[in-house]
Amino acid sequence: MSHILHPTRIAVAAAALAFGALPAFAAAPDWGKVPAAKITVFYPGVSPIEWITKGSEHGGARALRKGETCASCHHDETADMGKKMATGQKLEPSPIKGKAGSIPVQVQAAHDGANLYVRFSWKQPAGGADKMDKDNAVKLAFMLEDNKIPGANLSGCWETCHSDARTMPEGKDDKKTKYVKDGSVAGGKYYDIVQWTSKGAKHDGYIADKRVMDGGKALVDAKGEKKGDEWSVVFTRKLAGGEGDVALASGKTYNFGFAIHDDHSAGRYHHVSLGYQLGIDTKGDVTANKQ
Amino acid sequence: MNNKTEAPGWFARLRRPSSHWSVLTLLLVGVVAGVVLWGGFNTVVEATNKESFCIGCHEMRDNVYKEYSENTIHYTNRTGVRAVCADCHVPKEWGPKMLRKIQASRELWGKMVGTIDTREKFEAKRLTLAEREWARMKANDSLECRNCHTLASMDTEKQKPRARKSHELAVKNNETCIDCHKGIAHHKPKGMKEDDE
Repeated sequence: MSHILHPTRIAVAAAALAFGALPAFAAAPDWGKVPAAKITVFYPGVSPIEWITKGSEHGGARALRKGETCASCHHDETADMGKKMATGQKLEPSPIKGKAGSIPVQVQAAHDGANLYVRFSWKQPAGGADKMDKDNAVKLAFMLEDNKIPGANLSGCWETCHSDARTMPEGKDDKKTKYVKDGSVAGGKYYDIVQWTSKGAKHDGYIADKRVMDGGKALVDAKGEKKGDEWSVVFTRKLAGGEGDVALASGKTYNFGFAIHDDHSAGRYHHVSLGYQLGIDTKGDVTANKQ
Repeated sequence: MNNKTEAPGWFARLRRPSSHWSVLTLLLVGVVAGVVLWGGFNTVVEATNKESFCIGCHEMRDNVYKEYSENTIHYTNRTGVRAVCADCHVPKEWGPKMLRKIQASRELWGKMVGTIDTREKFEAKRLTLAEREWARMKANDSLECRNCHTLASMDTEKQKPRARKSHELAVKNNETCIDCHKGIAHHKPKGMKEDDE
């Protein structure tokens, strides 16, 4: 199947290169052949970047200042961390009964020279909490950053997570969402964000001085389905993009993180990944090789 | 003439050679007396190192001891090894121990004037007290910690990744235990400097 489509992809890629942002033809790879990275997303409680970087609260702030990534210390223990926070043992003033502490997710990525394909699959954990988002049982978003924001290569999405954001205990402004300190699209200091929702919506935006969920030009498609208790969500995204989109180039790595709003949750009550690297034709924590 | 019949002073008596006791007797008495005096002195010092002595003051018992005995690793753990107050706060070697005891005598003054005789007063002074102790431990390269723990004897392969990473960084940056391990036996004070961990 793939070898039949291959010439088409080359043609589309060539056309895209020649004429700029043409709509790219989406042809997902054979996921059975794409290796999966196992990344466990966990419930982060109230642990904004202000907490992460405060040495008297978080011992790892010292290692972070020395240039260590969050994942270098915590990658193997995210399930334990999530359990502590979901149960209210740590950093969660209002625990949700039955909230899953963590969700192991298989992450696969590939590209065809024109599009990046990213697939997330996971088993639906138990839930049953009050519905914060009545429309969506599940939402999944991932973010990319092009090594411009200080610390983004260490702490991933945490650079956008602040104590004064909505739904945070200290958040006073219901409209205040994620933002990057000194963020600006023009200055390249932004995270590119795409989101899929189980109701069927897809968003392509960015997070700079504020969060903008739509208007991006890179996202081609985002589809998810649930078979039994297994979710799978596939994003198709152009390697190139417009304003607020990170343009992806072969041989480079990008800061990458993702989050799942499980069990009709909203705001900060999500499960998040630590910061990882997405490599395009080069080794990353998640690697997208050309198919 | 009169001067010759006057009884000698106590110091002169001490200086005068004995005409009654043999050298061996004097030596034995001296050794026994020395052992008794030295042993007694050290017994008293050891007594002041006991947990029961430390928490004889309600200031210690109701504040720092209560926190330590809630659920800290040095109070209760899998192997049942307990570190009591002096294990962490008094050096084991004689010289440093004596110095620490002399320094600690100022605490008697604090006790008399009631510097921290209520919870409120203790909380108000907690940061100062903690910073003083952290500085002491920093200055002696966490001597009391190192009575039991050393970076060299750690098997970091058996540690969790975050502990392994932190200890590797500590070796690399020549850091000492207290640089990171503050507030492991007592609550952290409010108003800690952000660089303190």
